[in-house]
Amino acid sequence: MSVVELHDVVKRYESGAEIIDALKGVDFSADRGEMVTVTGPSGSGKSTMLNMIGLLDTPTAGVVCLDGRHVTDFSEDERTEERRSELGFVFQDFHLLPMLTAVENVELPSMWDTSVDRRDRAIDLLRRVGLGDRLTHTPDELSGGQKQRVAIARSLINEPDILLADEPTGNLDQDTGATILDEMSRLKDEENIAIIAITHDEQLVEYADRVVRLVDGVIRT
Amino acid sequence: MAWRNLGRNRLRTALAALGIVIGVVAICSLGMATVALEQQATSQLGDLTNEVTVSAGADSDTDGVTQEQVEEIRSIVTDAQVVPQKTNATTLEARNGAEARVSVTGVTEASALYDLTEGEAPDRLQSGALISADTADRLGLEMGDPIEYDGQLYRVQGFIQSEQSFGFGGGDLVIPVSGLSEQTYYDTVTIIASDGEAATAIGERLDTRFNTEDDERLSVTTFGNQAQVGGFLDTLSLALMGIGGISLVVASVAILNVMLMSTVERRGEIGVLRAVGIRRGEVLRMILTEAALLGAIGGLIGTIVSFTVGMILFHLITGDATGAFGWASLRYLVYGFGFAVVASVLSGIYPAWKAANDSPVEALRG
Repeated sequence: MSVVELHDVVKRYESGAEIIDALKGVDFSADRGEMVTVTGPSGSGKSTMLNMIGLLDTPTAGVVCLDGRHVTDFSEDERTEERRSELGFVFQDFHLLPMLTAVENVELPSMWDTSVDRRDRAIDLLRRVGLGDRLTHTPDELSGGQKQRVAIARSLINEPDILLADEPTGNLDQDTGATILDEMSRLKDEENIAIIAITHDEQLVEYADRVVRLVDGVIRT
Repeated sequence: MAWRNLGRNRLRTALAALGIVIGVVAICSLGMATVALEQQATSQLGDLTNEVTVSAGADSDTDGVTQEQVEEIRSIVTDAQVVPQKTNATTLEARNGAEARVSVTGVTEASALYDLTEGEAPDRLQSGALISADTADRLGLEMGDPIEYDGQLYRVQGFIQSEQSFGFGGGDLVIPVSGLSEQTYYDTVTIIASDGEAATAIGERLDTRFNTEDDERLSVTTFGNQAQVGGFLDTLSLALMGIGGISLVVASVAILNVMLMSTVERRGEIGVLRAVGIRRGEVLRMILTEAALLGAIGGLIGTIVSFTVGMILFHLITGDATGAFGWASLRYLVYGFGFAVVASVLSGIYPAWKAANDSPVEALRG
């Protein structure tokens, strides 16, 4: 069964008199252990689609399912809980908190949760992305590739089913991007998760199991 | 976490804390100044506050307090000294021709009413006279010199300290009560209680004993309803606290601004927190904690500074810096600190709420 499904999802933005259909009926699904890249020109609705899957935004029409459960009508708080337990995010510009060390940044999603201690998993994840010797470094002491690896470790701290990546290699040079993609692909298999990445990067497309092309809010295959 | 967030922009944090420090210092030191003034005023007015003054009432048959009434007062007031006095006025003339208009008080228990700069006030004034120091100075009188009043000669036994308390400075000439024997009645009876509260109680007892609703035989005045000094101090303290309050409001606005700025600046970051599943309540709590920490730091520094300022104020006003250690003044430090934390948290509520309820998508977009 697909871990994430979109059925006929429509997202309409209204700004003043202008009505923009960012998504015009998108059907999409992804399975565990699969890396799917979503490509398309800017303004095609890639980010909007990722926000739908990531439960950061709600569709105007259509259905979103995670692990077979309807989450379309979830309240803001329910969606937060879903993100907390099922989803991991990696952003183009890393979005690490500057005053926290690498380990603390990885622990961040569970930092407020006193019921679990994820320190050990955080250290383990950082070791697995090759940052075992950078645990107590703050982001400004790390290179771009290292920051993105910290971000990937952070996205996996809650043992998610789905990792969502928004231009994960966008701010990295070719070689660093390649190592990051190797890393992601390996972790995808180890953790048995679905990775959905949106990108312009042809390199990322090479690593993908499947490529979905989005043009003007519609999927072209 | 909140602590480190504050550490990120040290200058801004320091300025915000400075705002709170100023607010706290303003409210604390003004409060402590009031306490110091109050202590000083009470100690200066102490002679008056514990006195009850009795004179003939509006509906009295006589133009004074009778001997019988004095006896009755004595029987009612057993826990305080009762000092009946007769008063008159005269002009004293010195050998060198200098003249001085003085009020004449006939009293037996002179020691209860007068402090002397020289000589000793007798418990029972039988023959000599006491005269205020400045009048004696003017008339060139010295100890042992005779003073004539109503055909009687009195030897100067002591000099009354001038302005020993306001309202009583004009005692001027004090002679034995026998010297005013042509006056049948006492003009005033002063009762000296142990303190202001006892004086008020005595005043009320006398009032109910001698007077009814529409028949005032004796006019009983206590310091409490005589002078509005207490009320004045209250007003003063309120005004000072008002000024302190305004500065704290200004400080609160500064905190509001700082918290708002820092949440706007960190919008994207808060968006990330929300995206990775941090609950709205947790974001709210984080920012409120930052505000509370800011308030606590500012409050703590402000309290320490205020305490120093308070000691200086006490030293200047009452001449005793240790007065600042009293609870009456220390409590303003507690108020100041409490207010700093409360004001900070209150100022943090809006930015915190705004940050927590921002849409993560919008926030991430920046």
